[in-house]
Amino acid sequence: MKRNPITVFTAAVLLVIFACMLFTFQVRQTEVAVVTTFGRYSHSVTNAGFQFRLPWPIQKVYQFDHRVQSFERKFDETITKDQINVIIAVYAGWRIADPKLFLESFNGDTTRAEQTLEPVIRNAKSGVISTNNFSDLISTNQAELKFDQIEKAMLDAVQAQIKQTYGVAIESLGIKQLGLPESITSTVFERMRAERQRLVAGYLSEGERRAKITRADADAQANKILAEASGEAKRILGEADAKASQYYEAFRKNPDLAIFLMQLNALEQSLKDRAYLILGPQTAPFNLLNGAPGDAGAGVRK
Amino acid sequence: MERDLQRVGVINWFVLLVVGAASAIVAGYAASATGTVGVVFLCLGFLAALVSYFQMRLEERERLERLEYEELKKSRGSATLFQEAEGDTFPAQRSREQFERYLVPLFTALLFLSQGGAAWWFWKSLAKAAPPKLDHAPVAMALYALFALILFLLGKYSSGLARLKGQRLLRPGAGYLILGAFICFLAATTEAGAFFGLAKVDLFVAYGLCLVLGLTAVETLVGLVFEIYRPRVKGQAARLLYESRLIGLLGQPGGLITTAAQALDYQFGFKVSETWVYRFLEKALAWIILLQLGALFLSTVFVIIEPTEQGLLERFGRPVNGRAVLEPGLHFKWPWPIDIVYRYQTRRIQGFVVGEVPDPDLERERTVLWTRPHFRRREGEGSEMPGMLVASRGQAARSDTSEKAVPANLLTVSIPFQYQITNLQAWAYQHANSDQLLQDLANREVIRYLVNVDMEQIMSSGRLAAAEDIRQRVQARANDAHLGVNIVFAGLQDIHPPLGNKRTPVAAAFEQVVSALHQRQTNILYALAYAAEKIPSAEAEATNVLAQARNAAVTRVALAEGEAARFTNQMVAYEASPAVYLQRTRLDTLARALEPVRKYVLTATNTVDILMLNFEEKIREDLLTSGTILPPDVTPSATNK
Repeated sequence: MKRNPITVFTAAVLLVIFACMLFTFQVRQTEVAVVTTFGRYSHSVTNAGFQFRLPWPIQKVYQFDHRVQSFERKFDETITKDQINVIIAVYAGWRIADPKLFLESFNGDTTRAEQTLEPVIRNAKSGVISTNNFSDLISTNQAELKFDQIEKAMLDAVQAQIKQTYGVAIESLGIKQLGLPESITSTVFERMRAERQRLVAGYLSEGERRAKITRADADAQANKILAEASGEAKRILGEADAKASQYYEAFRKNPDLAIFLMQLNALEQSLKDRAYLILGPQTAPFNLLNGAPGDAGAGVRK
Repeated sequence: MERDLQRVGVINWFVLLVVGAASAIVAGYAASATGTVGVVFLCLGFLAALVSYFQMRLEERERLERLEYEELKKSRGSATLFQEAEGDTFPAQRSREQFERYLVPLFTALLFLSQGGAAWWFWKSLAKAAPPKLDHAPVAMALYALFALILFLLGKYSSGLARLKGQRLLRPGAGYLILGAFICFLAATTEAGAFFGLAKVDLFVAYGLCLVLGLTAVETLVGLVFEIYRPRVKGQAARLLYESRLIGLLGQPGGLITTAAQALDYQFGFKVSETWVYRFLEKALAWIILLQLGALFLSTVFVIIEPTEQGLLERFGRPVNGRAVLEPGLHFKWPWPIDIVYRYQTRRIQGFVVGEVPDPDLERERTVLWTRPHFRRREGEGSEMPGMLVASRGQAARSDTSEKAVPANLLTVSIPFQYQITNLQAWAYQHANSDQLLQDLANREVIRYLVNVDMEQIMSSGRLAAAEDIRQRVQARANDAHLGVNIVFAGLQDIHPPLGNKRTPVAAAFEQVVSALHQRQTNILYALAYAAEKIPSAEAEATNVLAQARNAAVTRVALAEGEAARFTNQMVAYEASPAVYLQRTRLDTLARALEPVRKYVLTATNTVDILMLNFEEKIREDLLTSGTILPPDVTPSATNK
């Protein structure tokens, strides 16, 4: 019977592939493998490379990613020692430490492993936070801040819990996010605003204060200048009076005449502006209206 | 013999039904996308085989009827038989004709809708398909291989029978059987691929099958349309509308050219099968395909790494000594699956943002303000996140545990980071999600920095130093984690007070402080301006007062001197005639003084009249009515004399 060479070749290639699938497996640099024989643990393969195996269902190979897996917890609320509610999210890096134990604990399912690790991490996180004050988490004072110690305490708590149990090792754990619940956030907003309002009020009052001081200083300085000028003016006038008094000696010769002349002068000065004068006909020179000398009985009548 | 053919027809649709159901169970068991889409082909094959079986039975009935008729015609020779209507004479033929005229096009139309609908639905739903279950892959692979064998053997037998006996009604079922065999083989192959870590192959093949399903739908539609315009040749059997040439082609790759030739012969009457091209392809097609597959396999011995990339070369999963990292250029390696290269974008600057992610739509505006939202809205949140906690020096100083004050402020932070991979092996082999870990570390360092720095300091003078400090801290953490990256840049350009909410606008309050600073300065400057005016004015006034005093002093002295001198002379005149001098002086003075004065002289002394004198100042009417001012004499006097 003549056989088609193509069919033979194709069948041979397929046979080789199928044989490779049944009798060999590869472990990548990033992986570890667990080999079971009839369901019982046989051995683990931690070195990358080409490996032989017995075919299914005799032997079964489970391969896991051996690298550090990133795991993030949700942002959830907890309370500090001084009763301040905070919201914290943590991240963790874990890797498979014991492939056999990992297979037994989680059936080789990384999702299930993370679901199992989640309450452990959450418990450690809440536990450690509750033993610290809020100011241990956030403070400008370096000596007071215990951020790094808190993370270390969380890591220690998680490691103590999962050691020898789950077949995984927690490589790192850190706080990824830190916040406050919404109700507290609103009050922080209010306080921040009030702080700014305090500054606003302070600046405005300071401006008013300095403006008033400046104005008062200016007024005082101006008053002083004017007062000094007034005093100086009076002194000058006094000196003038003193100087003028020496000339008044001349009036001593006839004081009555001097006073009369002064009265006349004063009268003239006082009648200078807007005066009404009601005079009788006896007042000189209006007495002339009653009759001129030599004109007896004659007079002006109105 | 016809009975045997019918039995084969029954076996065809029955096997397609059973294998289809079993295949559906295996596809669900192994989460095989290829197997799931393959079930559709098997189900359609079952329907096509079932319809062709019924058509086969109708044709058989017609054949028997025709034989019976011929027998009767020979034995009786009665003319009355020929007088009956043909429909009454050949009911089986009439049934077959009715079947082909109505039911076959209807079934073909339904087939088209099923094919098109299934192609569309699977194309859309495959994106959400779960990857194959690795644990179940070997079992699924073995079962699919078994299905493939059963379908292939039966399909080959049916197609051979159809070809040898000229039984066209066996062809659709046979075609679907062989196609089902190939699909089951493909499903077994994809399961093997998934087993070797190529889970994506299953999805790609499933998409390919969707495409084929869509093409068969198009072919069915085109066949329906062509059937309307096809030239009818008397005596030539009509083509089966629901028989797909494409499926026949895929099911029997060896008959590729035959099918093409048959199609051309059918449509145009051109004998392709007699040409040398057909004969050559018929002989060499398998070798050509094998050669192509060989070339494809050998093409895996070289790899070209692009300028932005580096590659990791692994031999049986282990990094190759001395050539673990491949630089840009051409490289040779052992073929797949011995050597495998994994490419990474190591030279490209990559980035991520810690905190708020800027919204390109909102930032398109020319001005980005604190008081306007400019970050991407996150699902289930307000316009922006409340912000990150940052220490407050003032609050810390006042904080008192009994008051439970929160010694913290909130800041809106958006810090872009840029990095380059410097050690590919560290990046790829240490962490499963290196980029995610780097983002987590950066987040952690930003939080750690903010909780220990004063808000006002980081927002003002400490900003540049803070950016550099954060970059160095993230770099140090990345080095500790053996990430193999270089943090090129960390920017602190977008760090400001949060927007707040409607009731409590925080960012706006910060702007009000600046306004208050300006207002303070404004008030001070106005006061200085007042002082600058007031003091020189007072100085001028003082100068004026002094000048007036000096003038008055000079005047007073001069007047005194003049009056003294005058009095001396007046004394001389007075002594000459005291009475006359006094009277003259008095009258002169009165005349001079009374000249501008309004005078009322009462001459009557013996009257009892009451005189009313109005000394009230009145506004002259002419001032109100015209611009002309009359002399006082013309004004009507208000006096009563």
